[in-house]
Amino acid sequence: MLDDYLKANLASWDEVVGLHVESELYDVPGFKAGRTALSEIELHELGPLVGEGTSLLHLQCHFGLDTLSWARRGAVVTGVDFSGEGIRTARALADEVGLSSRATFVQSDVENLRDKLTGQFDVVFTSWGTLIWLADLERWADVITHFLRPGGVFYIAEFHPYALLLADDATPDALRVGYPYFMYGVPQRFDEDGDYADPDAKVEHTVTFEWSHGFAEIVDPLLRRGLRLDFLHELPYTIPGFAFSFLERDERGMQRVKGHHEDFPLTFTLKMTKENR
Amino acid sequence: MGARDTDDAGARSGADGRGPDPLPPEARTANLELWNHWTRIHEKSDFYDVDGFKAGASSLWPLEREELGPFIHEGTTLLHLQCHFGLDTLSWARLGARVVGLDFGDEAIALARRLADEVGLSGRAEFVCADLYDADAHLGDRLFDVVFVSWGAIEWLPDLERWAGIVARHLAPGGTFYMAEIHPFASALDEVPGEHDVQVRYRLLPAPDQPYADPVQGSYADAGADTSGLTAYGWNHSFSEIIGALTGAGLRLEHLHEFPTSPAPFWDWMVRDDDRWWWLPDGKGGRRKDLPFSYSLRASKPAGGEA
Repeated sequence: MLDDYLKANLASWDEVVGLHVESELYDVPGFKAGRTALSEIELHELGPLVGEGTSLLHLQCHFGLDTLSWARRGAVVTGVDFSGEGIRTARALADEVGLSSRATFVQSDVENLRDKLTGQFDVVFTSWGTLIWLADLERWADVITHFLRPGGVFYIAEFHPYALLLADDATPDALRVGYPYFMYGVPQRFDEDGDYADPDAKVEHTVTFEWSHGFAEIVDPLLRRGLRLDFLHELPYTIPGFAFSFLERDERGMQRVKGHHEDFPLTFTLKMTKENR
Repeated sequence: MGARDTDDAGARSGADGRGPDPLPPEARTANLELWNHWTRIHEKSDFYDVDGFKAGASSLWPLEREELGPFIHEGTTLLHLQCHFGLDTLSWARLGARVVGLDFGDEAIALARRLADEVGLSGRAEFVCADLYDADAHLGDRLFDVVFVSWGAIEWLPDLERWAGIVARHLAPGGTFYMAEIHPFASALDEVPGEHDVQVRYRLLPAPDQPYADPVQGSYADAGADTSGLTAYGWNHSFSEIIGALTGAGLRLEHLHEFPTSPAPFWDWMVRDDDRWWWLPDGKGGRRKDLPFSYSLRASKPAGGEA
């Protein structure tokens, strides 16, 4: 079963890499010209901890724009993704922008990364739409803990669990619940044409399987492995690329829930430290 | 530390020395009237089952006993903040703890003291009538092994940083803070009119200066109780606010658990099982397990005086 889910998801991700490279959302020409692909959120919260020579492991890195953006700030980066297309594209981009000496890309799913990679890192980073592709956050937490050096920092910026459970037809006056907060390991099957970076795109692999995870499911496995929670933040806005009719852009280009600009959280960030002990 | 007149506004000093009392006077007056009224109803309610407690039953949920129980031993000192009329406080005392319960409700504290006497626990149970934000003035520099908070407590508090400061200052080094509470998401839900379904209606992120002020309809312990003319002032909180307040006060988060069950019904169409938890019905005779209604959280104060 799990293999079937992952196979469908991998086919989808392999297919959308090409679309995303061409998309306005990812703005690859802008990146090549020197722009960062990172949002102000992770730049503000994690940026101060990433400097010249910081070793950074980026889990579920897609085709590496964020990974390479950290490398441009001085980090020595390793990007990991289960999509061969994503990894090939990332390596080509690293070459093209002259960052291949400080960027390594590894094709692997998160769960089996320990078979493909050795070493420990100052920072383990993951962001925006990664958790829904993971069935089991216990194994995810194992991998994070394994690859953090003592004193190292785990940081995630993600879509808020509450944002993922609003119904597709939610309106400002009736924010109906359409999806579960607890899924007990059973994925939701989606069969949708189009793509978050290009809603009009025609795609061949339309079926995906996704898991939502509550806060306890995300935080507790990391706590049980001895990581110290430094902060958990909730923000009433999120980055573009999350296409629902109940969202609108604010003046800074961030998305907020219509009629709930300050009171409905769309992003959470979490920073945890593997202590020296 | 005897009972004092909690209507004496002059005693409300914001005694933690961290600025004026964050609880607006009109909210305090309305909520105290409500809780005194509720105390009279709750004493006789099936929900609280005071007779069962007197006969030896614990008022604690298996959840709290399972998760905090291992930290409670003979002689463990426990501070129960917002203890209402003390059934849970006294249930911890029965398990060996030496307890202090604190609540702003003068009728609740009077009842708690009567109950402690009646069940022979007054030697190990003390009750303090005080506003939460005045706790320091009443507790002085007393330290406890455990600070306990549960079910519908923090929604009555506008400022969680001040609350967490009180928790941290009265925890002994190495001590344990534990709370079991209504989930922030559930607190923001309302029923869809005419359906047995829910939607988000209230704020999910905090606004300390924007309390809700709702007319009260009955009680969580007795839906049919007459509460006409009473108003509840409360504040919705979020995980980032709750956890941030505790870590900001120097505590370390040890666990966060979430559950699809509620200790009391939010709407009259919720259903109760033999284990006493309330659920959303799935419309097919079963239970909806997809939405969070409660959570528990444990945090510790570092032993090395880092806090």
